[in-house]
Formats: sequence, structure tokens, C-alpha cells
Amino acid sequence: MMAAIFNLNHPAHTVHWHFFSMSVANVVVIVVMLIVFVVAILAPFPGHRGTER
Amino acid sequence: MSVVRRKSWTARARERAVGALPPEKLLPDSQPSYMSSWIYVFGVLTLTALIVIIASGSILALKGPGWWHFTGIGLFFNSIHMWSVELFFFFMVIHLWGKYWMAAWRGGRARVWITGAVTFLVAVPCALSGYVSQQNFDAQWISTQAKDAMNASGIGAFWNLMNFGQMYSYHVFLLPLAVVALVIAHVLLVRKHGIVPPFELSEAQAKPASGAGPAPDSGSGGAS
Repeated sequence: MMAAIFNLNHPAHTVHWHFFSMSVANVVVIVVMLIVFVVAILAPFPGHRGTER
Repeated sequence: MSVVRRKSWTARARERAVGALPPEKLLPDSQPSYMSSWIYVFGVLTLTALIVIIASGSILALKGPGWWHFTGIGLFFNSIHMWSVELFFFFMVIHLWGKYWMAAWRGGRARVWITGAVTFLVAVPCALSGYVSQQNFDAQWISTQAKDAMNASGIGAFWNLMNFGQMYSYHVFLLPLAVVALVIAHVLLVRKHGIVPPFELSEAQAKPASGAGPAPDSGSGGAS
């Protein structure tokens, strides 16, 4: 069987900041969601001409 | 003496359904220009992920745990099922953020917003019950850890994570049925009310800054 790309055979790494505690994997997913959200608002849509309404 | 003939319930149901959703509204062939933005794509991406979840989950249910744990193709479908759920929530959360900042409940769309929000809330236990339906040590570990949270909140008597039969029934039948029914209602309500338009620019925003000259769309016909 193909090995996993990342070595997952260890406890999850976590981000600790005061009361905040979350696994790195979850933090990465949330950051990627925020980036995709901003790109979805700002990126031009194919076939749409500028700011015409 | 005239005789008033009552319409049958099927005729009344048909007239009501066609009145609320005429064919051109149910299956429109054009959309408003303000939908030319990527942010409007995430609803249909969520729907697409849901279709993959249902299809891959149906195949897993047909074949059983021996297949999904110990054969190459079974592991592949197991992964398709898990990753389509990840994408479902990924797209649904971005869809939710977009609609929240658009205040998508405007213009009589409260039921559209409510069905979407309730779908999200029902989808969470639907996905979590999948973790304890895997039939492996991971599922046993998760169920024995999470049962304490259920018991502490008082719903452990009704939602028993150590009861595999109950969790599996919830995961493959009751909760997916609720999610699909809510999604159908949500989409039909979107078709009925139309996609929420963006906020109008306020007068202050529409006005050009002093000394900056006329705005390109200030009525001189120069906009293109």
C-alpha cells in the first residue's frame, strides 16, 4: 500500500495561545477557507466586464 | 340550483405548486448580472459535494466494512466519501459566510436562510456519526471519548455513541434523509424567491470625492 504523503504516526501538533487551542490541521483548513473566501470576492469572474452593473 | 364541484386535493396541490414555482422559475435559463462573481458558486459546489457523498456512501453501504477496510477499491471509495464530506463543509462554510455578509435573509428570504442554517446544524451530527460508524479502533476510541460529552449534556440516553446500530442508522438513513430534505426545501425556496441581490450603494459611496471629477457612471452615458 502507498505510504501517506505526510507522516501521521504521531499525536497532532496544536496551536496554543492563551485559552485558544486547536490542531494545526484545523487551523490550516480555516486559514485556507478565509483565503478562498477573499479570492472568491476579489477574483474577476470569466465573461464579466469590469464594474458594469 | 347550481352545484359547486370541489376540486380534488391533487388538483389543489398541483395548482399551489405551479403557482409558487412556475416552470420558468423552477428551471430558469438566465440569472441576474450581479451573480457574475465566484462567491455565488459555493452553493452549487456544496450541492455537488453532497451528491458525491450520497453516491459514495451508498456504494460503501452496499459493500460493507470488510470491503472498505481491506480492498484497494474499497479504501479508495472510503477516501472519496471522507474527502467529499471535507469539501462539503469547506464549501458550505464559505457559502454561509458569503450569504451572511450579503444579509441573504433580506426581501422575504427568511425561510431560505433558516433552512440553510438548519441544514448546517443537522449536517454536523450526520458527519460526526460517520466517525463512529467506521468499524475500526478509531471509531471505538472516538465513541468512548465522545460519549462523556453526550452524557454530560444530558442527551446520552437518546444519542448513545456506544450503540453502533443506533449510530449507523442515524448516519446512513435518518440524518442524511433530513439533510437531503432540507437541501431540497432550501433550493426550492431559493428558486421561489430568487438569489439575493447585493446591497445598493449608499448616496455617500456613490458620490465622487470632491474635486475628483464626475464618476464614470454619473449619467453622462460614458459607462461601458
